[in-house]
Formats: sequence, structure tokens, C-alpha cells
Amino acid sequence: MKPGQVCKYIGLVIIMMTTVFLLNACNRHSGQDEIRSAVSQLPQTLDPRYAMDAASARVNRLIYRSLVDFDEHSQPIPALASWRVLSPRLFRFTLGPEGRTFHDGRYLTAEDVAATYQSVLDLPDSPLAAEFGNISKIEVHDENTLDFFLRDADSNFPMRLILGILPLELIATNHDFSAEPVGSGPFKYVSWRQALHLERVKDKQRFRLEEVKDPTVRVLKLVRGETDILQGDLPPELVRYLQKQHSLEVQESQGTNFAYIGLNMRDPVLSNPLVRQALAHAIDREAIIQHALVSGSRLAETILPPEHWAGNADLQANAYDPGLARELLQRAGVRLPLKLVYKTSTDAQRVRLATMMQAQMHEAGIALEIRSLDWGTFFEDIKRGNFQLYSLMWVGIKTPEIYHLAFHSSAIPPTGANRGYFMDKKVDTLIAVSDWTNAAARIHEQLPYIPLWYEGQFAATQKYITGYTLQPDGNWDGLVDVRRSKLRSVFPGKNTLEGFK
Amino acid sequence: MIKRLLGVVPVVFGVLLLTFLLVHLVPGDPIEVMLGESAPMADRAKLRAELGLDQSLPVQFLHYLQALAHGDFGYSIHTRKPIADMLLIRIPATAALALCALAIAIGLGLPLGIIAALRQGKWQDGLATLSSLTLSAMPHFWLGPLLMLLFALWLGWLPVSGMSEPGSIVLPALTLGFGLAAILTRMTRASMLEVMNEDFVRTARAKGINEHKVILRHALRAALLPIVTVVGLQLGSLLAGTVITETVFGWEGIGRLLVESIEKRDYPVTQACVVVIALTYVVINLLTDLLYTRIDPRVRFAS
Repeated sequence: MKPGQVCKYIGLVIIMMTTVFLLNACNRHSGQDEIRSAVSQLPQTLDPRYAMDAASARVNRLIYRSLVDFDEHSQPIPALASWRVLSPRLFRFTLGPEGRTFHDGRYLTAEDVAATYQSVLDLPDSPLAAEFGNISKIEVHDENTLDFFLRDADSNFPMRLILGILPLELIATNHDFSAEPVGSGPFKYVSWRQALHLERVKDKQRFRLEEVKDPTVRVLKLVRGETDILQGDLPPELVRYLQKQHSLEVQESQGTNFAYIGLNMRDPVLSNPLVRQALAHAIDREAIIQHALVSGSRLAETILPPEHWAGNADLQANAYDPGLARELLQRAGVRLPLKLVYKTSTDAQRVRLATMMQAQMHEAGIALEIRSLDWGTFFEDIKRGNFQLYSLMWVGIKTPEIYHLAFHSSAIPPTGANRGYFMDKKVDTLIAVSDWTNAAARIHEQLPYIPLWYEGQFAATQKYITGYTLQPDGNWDGLVDVRRSKLRSVFPGKNTLEGFK
Repeated sequence: MIKRLLGVVPVVFGVLLLTFLLVHLVPGDPIEVMLGESAPMADRAKLRAELGLDQSLPVQFLHYLQALAHGDFGYSIHTRKPIADMLLIRIPATAALALCALAIAIGLGLPLGIIAALRQGKWQDGLATLSSLTLSAMPHFWLGPLLMLLFALWLGWLPVSGMSEPGSIVLPALTLGFGLAAILTRMTRASMLEVMNEDFVRTARAKGINEHKVILRHALRAALLPIVTVVGLQLGSLLAGTVITETVFGWEGIGRLLVESIEKRDYPVTQACVVVIALTYVVINLLTDLLYTRIDPRVRFAS
């Protein structure tokens, strides 16, 4: 390599770097007309037949319409269709006039509904196939009416029909809905390259959903004006920081997502009800809510919140009383300190909460060892029953059947999510007769979970964003009515300076 | 040369075999990931048979090799998308970031190292040493947000993160490049100091050759060999994906894809990423060996 070549090369690098810096000196944010939202997780799939994660469910609600939705008490209400129970094993659905046009212009009919549900049953790898396994036949009467025949009576059947409806013709051609979704929801898919771009059907407003994993980076983007909306998934100190920014608006509200500590009932110590009670009295939930959670968080006693139609508002909280906890442990014949292993993910906020509980339990004579594991290993351990204590959260739960999935003795993995191997004949009986209130009371008494809290919801938006509403389960339905004032287009850089001051 | 190329074949085979075995030995069932926790056993067995996961490991490995020979990496369990398509998006992104970081590293590290060697013991040497030590001591997860604060928030010159805006690559490239520049500065300084005392440099000076030419044509060329080794190794690790930097800056590269696939237990994606990363290392090492022969003809003669 000649000296001249080296000099030329170094010069080229310097010129390249200078060009990039100059280009960015007059940097303006792209997509000035879009409303942008930074989220911690983008959907894994846009095909509702494969959607398992919360982000996919949230976006699919925007792109597709389902037969049924839920009101504020989580009661099923008609969305695309109303229904009649013709017999315990026969439900008739009649499509209404709303939301009947697919984004490709075709008219949504009962044939599309039947084809959607039939395709879930026919697909070999759909995780929802088991959910609809009770359907024996779907019969279409006309373009507005169809009947669902069930193998076994199921009074909760309409609550299950929240699957987005797909066009029959595209199903028949094995269309890749994950790559090019076509629904009849309020948002139309535009593209997905780095960020997910959607268009609101009613006014052609464009939206950009960008995945930003790091919470600090999400906050910096909002403060700098690189994004317009943040919702959830931030530690409370970052929410407080956002509240101090003059250019931002922060909304807070109560949530319904249920946080809990799961116990392994096969563990010889934890199978003792006195020990479980002691654990419940050893955690100062109110202090944690006050100091380490976003406002809007509240105490929880069972999975479904009190305002849910199947909720139980009469359950008494286990008050923080380390003395009583210690006494209960001694009555249980446990030698103190009781050593327990608590598994959680590597999420900084989850580890912080675990540390607080560790300190509180110490007062009650419990030596808690925290094991923070990567999500894959952690969840694998939980599913395999390889734990003593773990903490997780149920997100977006609408139906009381969660009690069956989480606590029925027949729902032990791999056939359900009763990961703590809880077996109680009384609970099984109450679930079987759909006596949800008493089932919740019995579960609360037996404590297979230590209930913690319903995590509050919050959203931070730029001041020029209006009409964004928070949803209790953290879904993104607020995007349906959100607006952007024209102020930002006139002074594009203003927000950045205000935000930083 | 041919011998060197042939040596790659068993390495690649070993990588494929090890990756395949490791991924299949990790606890967890891809069928459960696909069908969910409450899927009936009959459905699980059916899908397992359809995907060929009920066959013995040697048979599965053979099928895997056959598919790989046709460029078929399979499908992601979570997204149901072809993995080859995912890689085609991620690899160029990582390559662009790696090359920019390397350009920054060479642009800073080489001149600083040369200056430090030529001004040994003087303030320029001290400054170069101090800055290289400081930069190499800064972890990426700390340096990245610091650069964001400075260039994005305070100065407003560059975007905080993402890939869509012009100049998005600058901050992640600086984060990676600074650390590598620090290593290159130290390496160039040490190598140059060693060479500057050699007889051929003294001879060149005695012949009255211009000092710049002595440094760049004679000394630097001789000092390049260890530097190229370091650059080759570092480029390999950069192309393998820099997980932390990609995550902090929202850069859709292969490192982030690998970590996400591990978290989600998306075994086929993990397997494909590891194979691509391993092959990248093999190719970069091969190219580094070839570059030796260009820099120092004696290496070619010896081989």
C-alpha cells in the first residue's frame, strides 16, 4: 500500500463522515404527516390465526374486525354480529351493517366468517385450533347469517369469537396474511419495513409503529420529538421525568393487567396453606405500589378486577403483617429463616420489585433468593414446574375461563396453564358450574397465587396530539380517534427545545 | 492457497453439526411454542410428524443439510416467515453498521497511533494514550446513551435511534467505532514503535528519503501486519452482530435477531443466525489471510 493511497483512504473516510454530519445538521424527521408511536414490542404476526402475543392481538384489533367485542365490564357485546342461543349447542350469528367492507373493497359476508373459523380448525399449526376445537360444524344460511354447532354445551362460546375475520377468497389461495393483511378494521396495512405503517381508513391518516426495546431510548425519542405517543412499559421514574416535560401530556388510569406470585404446590413447604398465608402477609404491596409502580396501580385479590362482571369485590386483602407471617411459619413447623427461590425475568423493573419483596420478606423470617433469568429460560422453567416462586402477569384477560386455564386440576401443563400444580376439588366444581365469584373466593383462600396488583396504565403524548384515550388492558384502540393539531407542521423543531428544557 | 480453501470445508461442517446439536439439546419444545400450552397431544404429535421432528437426529441433520444446500433455512416458528428473507434484511443492516464503524475506527485509530508513536513520550502521545484508554474502558451500553444525549438531545444533529432517518447510522457506528479505534491506536502505536527502530527505516532515512515517505511507505507498511490481524478479528465480531448496540439504537441487525430468537425459543432462527455468524468468521479469516499476502509478499512465498 503506497503512502498516497493511505492518505487518500483516510481523506475519503473523513469526507464521508463530514458529509453524514452535514446531512444531519439540517436533519428533519421523516414522515412529518404520520402519527408515530414507539412501542416496546411489535407484533410477531399480523395473521390473527397465529397471534399469541399481546402486541399481535393489539394490532390485529386495529386491522381486523371480529364478531364479538367486550364492554367496560368485559361483557361480550356485538361487534360485526349479534347472536342468539338457539340451543346450548347451537348459536346463530347475524352480521350487522357496520364494518362490512374489506380493505381491498370486497363485501364481508357470512361465508368469510365461516371460512375464517374453518381455516383455524384446518390449519395444522394454528395455536388457536384448540380454542375452537368444540366447533363441530359451521352452517351459512345467507350472506348475513350463520350457525355454529358445538360438540359440547358452552354458554361462554360467544366470548371466544374475537378472531379477526379474513376474506374467503384469500384464505382459499393460502394468502400470507402476516405479510399482507387484509381485514375490515379501522386501520389498513400499508407496509412493514423496520416500522409498521398503517393508514386509518376513515381519514387516511398515516401511523407509524416503531419497536424501541430500551425504555430510556423510547423516552429520549419522545422528548426529542422523534415519536408522538408512548404507552406503558416504562419504570415510574421515567414516567415522572416525562411529567416534568412542558411539551408532553401524560395520562394515567387504572389498569386490569394482573400481577401475581405463582407458587409451586408440589413443593413440600409451599403445599402447606399456613406457609402460603405467611407469604401473603409478608409482602407490603401498598408500599410497593406507592414507591415503585406507576400511579393508577391498585391492589389485586384475584385475576379478574372487581369491576369485571365475574369479578368479586368482597375479597379481603391479606394485610402486611410480618409478625403474623412469622407466627404462621412457626405454626407450620418451618425452621426460620425459610429459604425460598424466586424466579423472575431480567427486566430491570421486575428485578427491582423482587428486591423490594426480598427485603420485606426478610422481616418475616423468609430468606428469598432471587434468580433473574433470560425470558426464554425463565418461561421454560415456569412451564415445566421448575420453580418454587415466580412472578408473572396476566395481560388482557376478558373471560372468567381464565380460572379454568390457570387453576383447574385438568389444566396442568402441557394441557393448560396451571403451572403450580394446584388441585382443589371445590375449585374444580365451582368452575364446572361457572360460579366464578365463589371460585375466585376459594382460590383467594387457598392462595395458589399470591395476588399482587393491577398495574396502572399511562400514555405520554406530544401536546399537539389530542384525543388519545387509555385502555385498561393497555390495548392500542386509542389510535382510532387520535388527532394531530397543525401546530407541529408550522414549527417542526419547537418541540425538541421545549422538551429538553 | 487451495489447501487453505479446502481447510474451510471441515470447519464449516463442524459448525453446522455443532449448531444443529446445540439447538436440539437446549430444553424446550418448538411444537409447544407453535401450538401453545393448551394444545391437545394429538395435534402436537401430528404437527411434529409433519415437520419431521419425530425422526432421529441424524435423519433430521441430513434433511437440514439438504435444505441448506438449496439456501432454505426453514421458517420462523413465531412469525411463520422464511428465515432466508429475514436474514436478507438483517445481514445488509449489520454489514453497513460494521463497515461504518470500521471506517471510523481506521480513520481515527491509525493516524492517532502513528502520531503517538512518532511523538513518543510527548503530550501528543499522552493524549492519544489517555483517549484510547478512556474509549476502550467505556462499555457500549453506556457510551451509546451518552452519544444520544450529546448529539441527539443537546445538539439535535442526529436521530436518537432507528434506521429510517438519514444519519441514523452515525451514532451506532460511532459507539462501535470509538471502542475499536482505541484498540487500533494502541496496536498501531506499539507496532510502529517496533518498526521505527529497524535497520531498513534507518537506511531509508540515510538515503535521504522524505520523512513522510519513510513513515507511510516503509514503516507503516511493515507495521500493518498485526494491525490487519486485529482489524480482521474485530470486523468478524462486528459482522457477527453487536447485540447491545443494535438493541440500544433499534438497529435491525443480525445480532438483535439472534438474541430475540433465543428469548423466544425460535430454534430455526437461532440456528440460522449462528450458522451465518460462524460462516462470516470463516470468510473474514480467509480474507485476512489473503490480505497478508498483499501486504507482505514473504507470506505468499512461505505458503
